[in-house]
Amino acid sequence: MRQFRNMIYPYVAWLAVMVVVPMLMILLYAFTTEGNDVTTFRFTLDNFARFVSDAVFLDVLKRSLLIAVFTTLVCVLLGYPIAYTIATGPERSSFFWIMLVTLPTWINMLVRTYAWVGILQDDGLINSALGLIGIGPFNMMHTTFAVVLGMVYNFIPFMILQIHSSLAKMDKSLLEAASDLGANRIQSFLHVTLPLSLPGVLSGITLVFLPAVSSFFIPKLLGGGQYVLIGNVIETQFLTSGDWNFGSAISLIMALIIMVSMYITRKVDTDPESGGRR
Amino acid sequence: MNPNTKRSIGGKLLLAATAIFFYLPIVYIIVFSFNDSRSLTKFGGFSLRWYEKMFTDSTMMEAVVYTVIIALLATVISTVVGTLAAIGMSRSRKALKNVVEQINNLPIMNPEIVTAIGLLMFFSALGMEKGFLTLLLAHVMFCTPYVILSVSPKLRSLDPNLADAALDLGATPIQALTKVIVPQIMPGIISGALIAFTMSFDDFIISYFVTGNGVQNISILVYTMSKRVNPSINALSSLVIVLITAALILVNVLPVLREKSRQKREEVQSHINSHKKAALLLAGLVVIAGAGLFALRGNAPISAVDKYGSDTMKLYIPGEYMSEELIPSFEEEFGVDVIAEYFDSNEMMYTKIQAGDSYDVIVPSDYMIERMMAEDMLQELDLDKIPNIEMLTDEVKNLPYDPYNTYSVPYFWGSVGIVYNHNNVDPQDVEEQGFEVLRNTKYRGKLYIYDSERDSFMMALKALGYSMNTDNEAEIQDAYEWLLQMNNTMAPAYVTDEVIDGMINGNKDIAVVYSGDATYILDENEEMSFWMPLEGTNLWSDAMIIPKNAANPLLAQEFINYVLSYEAAKGNSEYVGYTSPNSQVLQELSSGDGMYSENEAYLPRSGYPHDEVFRDNPVMKKMLAELWLKVKAAN
Repeated sequence: MRQFRNMIYPYVAWLAVMVVVPMLMILLYAFTTEGNDVTTFRFTLDNFARFVSDAVFLDVLKRSLLIAVFTTLVCVLLGYPIAYTIATGPERSSFFWIMLVTLPTWINMLVRTYAWVGILQDDGLINSALGLIGIGPFNMMHTTFAVVLGMVYNFIPFMILQIHSSLAKMDKSLLEAASDLGANRIQSFLHVTLPLSLPGVLSGITLVFLPAVSSFFIPKLLGGGQYVLIGNVIETQFLTSGDWNFGSAISLIMALIIMVSMYITRKVDTDPESGGRR
Repeated sequence: MNPNTKRSIGGKLLLAATAIFFYLPIVYIIVFSFNDSRSLTKFGGFSLRWYEKMFTDSTMMEAVVYTVIIALLATVISTVVGTLAAIGMSRSRKALKNVVEQINNLPIMNPEIVTAIGLLMFFSALGMEKGFLTLLLAHVMFCTPYVILSVSPKLRSLDPNLADAALDLGATPIQALTKVIVPQIMPGIISGALIAFTMSFDDFIISYFVTGNGVQNISILVYTMSKRVNPSINALSSLVIVLITAALILVNVLPVLREKSRQKREEVQSHINSHKKAALLLAGLVVIAGAGLFALRGNAPISAVDKYGSDTMKLYIPGEYMSEELIPSFEEEFGVDVIAEYFDSNEMMYTKIQAGDSYDVIVPSDYMIERMMAEDMLQELDLDKIPNIEMLTDEVKNLPYDPYNTYSVPYFWGSVGIVYNHNNVDPQDVEEQGFEVLRNTKYRGKLYIYDSERDSFMMALKALGYSMNTDNEAEIQDAYEWLLQMNNTMAPAYVTDEVIDGMINGNKDIAVVYSGDATYILDENEEMSFWMPLEGTNLWSDAMIIPKNAANPLLAQEFINYVLSYEAAKGNSEYVGYTSPNSQVLQELSSGDGMYSENEAYLPRSGYPHDEVFRDNPVMKKMLAELWLKVKAAN
């Protein structure tokens, strides 16, 4: 089946021009010192040494990865049942629910996150409501809870969309076949539905994990300035301290770590056990 | 899956909980769009003022139109490109496929700022003028990967023999593609398109750095207006929600009504129906957006004056930092058109200017002006063309960064001081201890610290009795330890512009803030007082400059002169709350029955020997930035 193979090449060209070239321009900074004037650059690995030799940066990186993993986990555990429920309902209501899940993402992220501040803060909506029945107040702002909540709120629609799209249009004759062969509902879910939806779960994981690692606005607003994640460090380098060299180096390190972990995920994906049956 | 199963009770409960989770903040936004006060977190009565403001704000309406048009175009292009590329990928050699997959992930994985700076340098290197086209290209660039990620899993579970069978049966490749493959992967394409639309609609950082010429989207407006919280954004969001919901109900309900009179359809047809709905929705939005842009275009002022060589001027200024009347009245008086763009930090502005973007008037801060002067980025002003410079108050004339006002004319000025709640904090503590009160454990958990290395090191150095411009390593080490101890014992909340809303609502008792913001806080909350520590503080000023590459310096000087005039300066200071550089306005507003006569934050002290002006020192800046990060990350 070669007919459509060539369709990849225009996109390869596009990627080369619009993604690779700008990335290389940025990478130049990671390996050089002194400023924004390309003509006076000097090759160095100092920027990388500075990062790996400092426990503070490594801690921040570790914390960012942990938060991102945790967020992704929550999104899978909540997103799968939601997507499953949507996909197994009547067709028309599926469309309705998918739009319902997507609609909030069309409101500006900053505005939505500000709304969460109002809901979570010490005298905010939740604490006022709890106060009426005599509980609280609880301190929720500037905690890990608030940061994870904000990230889940922002990213879970992508997870739901991905899982839903892999469940929708699934060949229902497969389920009938399974039940004809004596499988009960749990068995046919575990052996038919779940394996077939795994590609969707994996791309959902990619869509949640990648932006979660580098997010900087949610931790800044809901976690407070003391909630430093790697995205905040990189952003500071570019927008506050003007140290593009160091900022580029950190983002390169982060990209490498993520690429390796994605590679491992892909390995799992192509594992025959989970590869889906057809 | 079986389309006709009814949902179980558990499923219904789950969906109900999902709806509540997703819509709690949305309802909150809608409620607060009717809030009479400016606060985003405290409700102060019902009002429609933000809707009124939104509809009269042409910048905002224009931003809505640009956002929708860019999002629709980017979604359509990236969905087509991404789907074709994904199909191509699914048939390609494994090695090529892997490489493309990894590169495809880059834009999703990279922090947006990295992609943004990369594209900024790329477009500048190509000499492309920034505006609609660059913005669209960038959006297609970061949206397409999401489409590919959505479509690929569908292709993976697609039987590869299907297309072959179609071809064997005599279908052309295009028929095989559109009649066999695409319908099978449609759910993936739709979810990819939805995500692409979301990404484009919501993007700030990348858009900010690749756009220009007044082309701004909603996100750029939202982020750059953070200085003064502007609830018309809530009104705008509510409007978006209502419009989209209405469109959804329309495309959903109409077919239902029609269908009720007919017989039930088969599943396949219903599928096609939902695609039709999507297409209908898209077409509807395009029409609305197009009509909107047309209407706005019709409103654009057509000026004839050619006295300055051109009738448009580009202004680049921090968000919410200028009276709403100033630009319209300047435009009217001089028959010109002002394109205003906004920035959130001096460094953001610097990055764009350095990449070659051209503006006529920019309003940076003192230290940044010093840096731009040193890097030969500014034009000398023709002071004969700016006669109103005579009106400057003495305190802002001939400041150390520009001793003869060769390059800059002050716009606002002020100090940095302590705002505290005099009901909860003993004024004597603040007045006796100065910045040291920030380490008084009596007030643990009650303070906001401004999240900026510059301002935090200023207060630490001043508390220790050093100069805030020191480059003595031992002194900086002392200041670092001072801050570290504050961090470890006081449980401070590090915030930026949220401090304004936070103090107005009385969430904390002590905060270090810029005097202009303090003026506003004191105006809104009577429990707050302002104190300038005796150890000295930062005397800052923001000033108007004309960059070297300005297209229209003559009009720029006219504008600067106008801003200095009595009427403009008065309206400006009353609106923003920052201290006016115009001596007459300053005098009037701060004395007698002037607007700020009772407000102790409005008038900065002058001639106090311990107060200093910030100087630019790139080496120190990097060092302080790193130390500050370590202070914050220490807990």
